[in-house]
Amino acid sequence: MTSIPKTPSRYRSRSDAKTPLTPSIISAFNSISISPQKRSHPADLSNPFITKSRQASPVKRATGGGVIVSDSFHRQAGGGVIRKGGIETRLDVISRDYLPPTSQPRPELKRSRSTPATRERTQSTGDNRDRFITTRETDDVAATLELMSLNPKTVSPGHTARLAAATGVPLNRRVLAYHEAPPASSSDSTLSQQRELARPLYGRPGELPSSTSSTTNKSRRIPTQPERVLDAPGMVDDFYLNLVSWSIQNVVAVALAESTYVWRADTGIVSHLSEAPEGTYVSSVDFSNDGAYLGIGLGTGEVELWDVEAGQKLRTMGGHQGQIAVLSWNAHILSSGCGDGSIWHHDVRVPRHKVMELLGHTGEVCGLKWRADGELLASGGNDNVVNIWDGRVGDVTEGARGQAKWTKRNHTAAVKAIAWCPWQSSLLASGGGTNDATVHVWNSGTGARLHSLKTPSQVTSIIWSPHKKEILTTHGYPTNAIMVHAYPSLERIAEIRDAHDSRVLYTAVGPAGDVVCTGAGDENLKFWRIWEGVGAKKKKEGKERSSSTRSGILSIR
Amino acid sequence: MATSQAPTRQAITLKGSTNLVTEFFKYAANTILFQRGVYPSDDFHMVKKYGQTVLVTQDLALENYLDRILKQVNKWLLTGSVTQLVLAIISKDARLPLERWVFDVNLVEQPADSAEPTPTKPESEIQAEIRYILKQIVSTVTFLPIIDTPTVFNILAYTHDSADVPADEWVDTDPLAIEASKSQQVKLRSFSTDVHRIEALVAYRYEG
Repeated sequence: MTSIPKTPSRYRSRSDAKTPLTPSIISAFNSISISPQKRSHPADLSNPFITKSRQASPVKRATGGGVIVSDSFHRQAGGGVIRKGGIETRLDVISRDYLPPTSQPRPELKRSRSTPATRERTQSTGDNRDRFITTRETDDVAATLELMSLNPKTVSPGHTARLAAATGVPLNRRVLAYHEAPPASSSDSTLSQQRELARPLYGRPGELPSSTSSTTNKSRRIPTQPERVLDAPGMVDDFYLNLVSWSIQNVVAVALAESTYVWRADTGIVSHLSEAPEGTYVSSVDFSNDGAYLGIGLGTGEVELWDVEAGQKLRTMGGHQGQIAVLSWNAHILSSGCGDGSIWHHDVRVPRHKVMELLGHTGEVCGLKWRADGELLASGGNDNVVNIWDGRVGDVTEGARGQAKWTKRNHTAAVKAIAWCPWQSSLLASGGGTNDATVHVWNSGTGARLHSLKTPSQVTSIIWSPHKKEILTTHGYPTNAIMVHAYPSLERIAEIRDAHDSRVLYTAVGPAGDVVCTGAGDENLKFWRIWEGVGAKKKKEGKERSSSTRSGILSIR
Repeated sequence: MATSQAPTRQAITLKGSTNLVTEFFKYAANTILFQRGVYPSDDFHMVKKYGQTVLVTQDLALENYLDRILKQVNKWLLTGSVTQLVLAIISKDARLPLERWVFDVNLVEQPADSAEPTPTKPESEIQAEIRYILKQIVSTVTFLPIIDTPTVFNILAYTHDSADVPADEWVDTDPLAIEASKSQQVKLRSFSTDVHRIEALVAYRYEG
């Protein structure tokens, strides 16, 4: 059995005890010298090595190959203590020459012969790792350790204890790992690739491909002449009012002094809808989300509800103490902003229509917009304040809704221009009046101010393009302009100076997202084709939007 | 609940201490995964903990994975079966262990002469110690070798033989050790509650 450079154990084991190495056995092993279980040479179990343990003292051997294994070693090794028939064979551990039980081959640890001895001793169920040498560091250490542990039979408690102390790995220890591998990063490489691709799109303004495919987006050509002009006699030149609304059914409602007209864009037919009661005037109009109803706010503080198709007034909701300068719909809730600074929620289905009141402005409320999903309501007032309210209507704990979620006082003039971003619902843009002339973009979730854009004149309204990453702003003093900016770079894409002869005060965007309607005190209603219609480009836009949204998320961060 | 009956007090604080330790493991693991770039940094968001902001993963799969592991670790801690917890960072392709973050779990010795019960360690002090360790983990990026290759991590638990191991969930495995000739070790700070003492150490692969 002195087959020196071989691992005879492999065969030897077969002949030996086949009892599998159970943990108990292992521990028994550890505690005692030899496993009393199997062996073919009982005599040899008498631990000759205990006395001769010095023989196995760590001789500095370079590799296991050079082990000077005495005959007694072999005897011991072959003494059946190496239970090859046990776990080792099943685990195929012997196939390797005492390679550390890692997947990586460690050629330096050339063990020969009785390597299995060590392994078996330290085998735990299913584990082919050496308990004593859990960390196979250098060859030397391993070699010597292997030497020492050549013969399980000869392991004495003191010996193992010394061993344990030397290696730093205590006995009776198992190294466990969770059976599942950790999840790969869910984003993986594809998202990061997408990020890399999307990032430069908004890194520099010049790189943004403009809609008209010209190289620079600065000189994108939008027609400086309106597509259509409608006469609007009697349109008042009041900054605070909101007299134009465009419904999703492609109907434009215009309030001229006391009268309200609806113009059907598809047919071009104008019809007179309503007359305000004697002595008062119309201060705001707004179509419901489905376009079936029109809310009309009057100077007396009443809100009328009209059925557009039938041309019938459905109800009048009174109570306000000042003019209703702005209206905004959210499903069945019609919110009205009043001259005294209060905002009321009217539930148009119930008799007691006033379901909630929001008091957050000390000046007239001139800008009011519900977010498309109805979660938040943004309001701007003559007190230069922008409030973002929680959109839930109803009684909740006092104070939960009583105060605005965010109150922004960055503007230095009245905030009439308020708009939510259609592609990123947390973004809100607000624009200030003459003194301010700045557009701020907010994240309604965190309340952070993301962008600010200084413009040359008072901002009267803001429209986010539904299909492109652009913002349109209309202005009053002194330029009376319509400007289009890219988002998020806020680079000016186009400007139409003197769009009207007086301040461009009232704006609405068409349901197709391509035409913008503007009204001014010069008694003209002009329709501008700013963006290309959706249609053939929809697919591209849609995909672009999704990736842009993601990059938009990045840039916001 | 400082003094009173010692055994019951022990039992109470043992559970609290294990929860503290498990929570610490969770945040330490998250911090390490973020700092060493095992997962993209976008996956992490900031959370206030221990009086400072720590980064925790938003990836649900990873969070669940860690929770499952730590739940078992918690059980082991209660029975005192686990002695060491290792977070090994290995390269994805070659499965080469690059770093091992080793956390030793020791039981705090009760002083023999505790005629009067030792005052319980205030939570703020424990939190301060944890804060130091986390800050130290973050600061290790200054000397740890840069990892360019994609990596995965593995959590290993060193337990007693007698530990109750759910066989289908935990398997014995290779300790993913770094060869001693190539490994450098840096001992980090430790923290202790009244019951446990956690020592931290990072061993990294360093050639030449």
